[in-house]
Amino acid sequence: MNRPQSVRQSMAWLHTWSGLVVGWVLFAVFVTGTASYYRAEISRWMRPELVHSNLDPAAAVTRAAAFLQTTMPDALGWSIRPPSTENPAVEVYWWRDPAGPYHHALLDPATGEQANVRDTQGGDFLYRFHFELNLPPIWGRWIVSACAMILFIALISGIITHRRIFADFFTFRRDRSAQRGWLDAHNVAGVLALPFHLMIVYTGLVTLSSMVMPWAEMTAYRGDLLRYYAEAGLMVPGRPAAGRPGEALPLGAIVTRAIAAQSETPEMVVVSSPGDAAATVTAYFVELPGLAHLHPQIAYDAVTGAEIGRVGEAGTATRTGAVMVGIHEAHFAAAPLRFLFFLCGVMGAATVASGLVLWTVARAPRGAKPEGLGLRLVRFLNLGTIGGLPAGLAAYFLANRLLPVNLAGRADWEVRLFFLAWIAAALASAFYARTRAWSLTLAVPGIAVLAIPAVDALIVGEARFLGFDAAMAVLGLLLLVGARLASRRRLVRRRTEAILHRTAEA
Amino acid sequence: MTAPALVLSLLLAFSGFSALALSLERHHRAVFRSPVPRSRSGGLRAAGWAGLTLSFATAIACAGWSFGPVQWIGSLTFSALAVVALIAYRPTWLRMAALAALPLAALTLPLALPG
Amino acid sequence: MSAGAGSARGWAAHTDRAVVAARVILAGAGGYAVAALATGWLALVLPGSRAEAVSAATIASFAIMAAAVIWVFAARTLARAALSLGLVAALLSVGLWLAGAFQTGAPA
Repeated sequence: MNRPQSVRQSMAWLHTWSGLVVGWVLFAVFVTGTASYYRAEISRWMRPELVHSNLDPAAAVTRAAAFLQTTMPDALGWSIRPPSTENPAVEVYWWRDPAGPYHHALLDPATGEQANVRDTQGGDFLYRFHFELNLPPIWGRWIVSACAMILFIALISGIITHRRIFADFFTFRRDRSAQRGWLDAHNVAGVLALPFHLMIVYTGLVTLSSMVMPWAEMTAYRGDLLRYYAEAGLMVPGRPAAGRPGEALPLGAIVTRAIAAQSETPEMVVVSSPGDAAATVTAYFVELPGLAHLHPQIAYDAVTGAEIGRVGEAGTATRTGAVMVGIHEAHFAAAPLRFLFFLCGVMGAATVASGLVLWTVARAPRGAKPEGLGLRLVRFLNLGTIGGLPAGLAAYFLANRLLPVNLAGRADWEVRLFFLAWIAAALASAFYARTRAWSLTLAVPGIAVLAIPAVDALIVGEARFLGFDAAMAVLGLLLLVGARLASRRRLVRRRTEAILHRTAEA
Repeated sequence: MTAPALVLSLLLAFSGFSALALSLERHHRAVFRSPVPRSRSGGLRAAGWAGLTLSFATAIACAGWSFGPVQWIGSLTFSALAVVALIAYRPTWLRMAALAALPLAALTLPLALPG
Repeated sequence: MSAGAGSARGWAAHTDRAVVAARVILAGAGGYAVAALATGWLALVLPGSRAEAVSAATIASFAIMAAAVIWVFAARTLARAALSLGLVAALLSVGLWLAGAFQTGAPA
């Protein structure tokens, strides 16, 4: 039998518990997502063997097609990315089934052979982790989507609950109680970047909507997704395979036509039903300037090279959805704006982390009372996530430099070490003395991250990686500064319990 | 969207937010050690909103209606963060910083505007 | 979090834990169900081309779900929350039926 309580109280409860339940997952999602703004740079750092070449993209594509022809001539589809500033190698995928598995290789543009580069997932590991958590795709995406929806609820309930959102806009009281300080930090980080937080969570949900909320197309199109994409102006209408073989033109010839048609090199070329009489080659171009994630696309008959279709014009609603995906990924952003997004992502991670810490600080028992199991568990998970994830990242990057280049299964080992380091750092935090736990939990990954530029300078030592190394140095220093701040004994003025509760009420 | 345009937008937003912060009793006290005089608070509010509006205008002028609003919101976030940090750690610097931001913005203006 | 940990905990402590759990389940499952029904219905009734209606409905779906979830927790009693959500779901189902969602065969 519930007694009616005020909306503000129920929203406060909702904010506190929804934030806690998904906080640990969200911290990892924010950190890896924020890192993904620099996915290409991370991948370049992790593949130092690859150097940019000015080879003809059409010729590179023809060689890649020859590789794919040898590897899987009866594939359902091939995808080829010509060399670009983001990736100097030719990236190819091939598959027999739309549900996967998708096979992947990096090819040398000059020879069409597998590139002589160390086996690594590069920045793509962090990017995929961001929305799949390294789980089987369907599981991972559902979990992240659910957490994103709960985050959205936490944001809304937080806004409803925050009574003095304008009066407290600039308030950060670091000289009062620890709880007051953490509350202010959480509010500042949360409110100042609120437009970004709301935008990033909603656009993230829309980006995954075809999996988690397909009911519109299921109802209106009876599940014929491809027809929806074609009519919406998101894809060129496809055509079914003829079932009999056909002699395709060299792929480079079609790429040349595409370059002529659009005055730029396509970003990606997809061959549907290669070897078939009705095989199609679709050229995808970089999104037009603007926020919308809409790629111009031209489809060609693989046998004759004739243009058979272009992607249609997207209407307002579809364009809005494309803008949402575009803003989430921020592909459009030039360097200063991309850095701004990056900093906002950092603030998002800081909001989540400060919220998690605030949760334990606000419930710390007064006086000599022992802590309950629940509180100890939350504290352990906080330490393990906020300190463990940086440790995992450090291990991932260090492994890239330290593991032997020709080690079998190298890419899998890098990922394994990421998780092992995370788990080890988390478990170790359970054994640290209570008063030194945060200090040690931040110092260990801090030192590990600082080791990255040192190791890189010794092993690879290329000037073009100075930016990444400098960023790691800054991150390591920040972690050590955090560890230092955590170790300084805070002067908590003794106040009566009533006053503490009153200030928390304010 | 160039760096000077972003800096200009940030500086104007910073001035605006500083003025708005100073119009609030608690922060005025932290910076000036005296409560806000009635005559001043209105002026500070107006100056504050003016700064934010100018920041918006420069963002649109330099980056268009598509990227401009996105970049402006980012400027708001980080200029507000700078104000919070100053008030929390070096309140007496805020007045100086807010006043210095205006001539700096004027210097950045020719670099920022296209053409 | 201005209401503070004290009174937020008070809300849950005064309320039967089972009721809170029920609200969570109602919010999650019921909220999703209402959003799914609404999205399907909007895809059929929104003006403009079919593809545009689908795009618009999908974009709106998450706001609809969020509104339903907030409503379940803001409602004064669990019964109120469940009944109102149920009513909305029933109305949407009728709307879907009227718009032809349950007919077999190719869509109009």
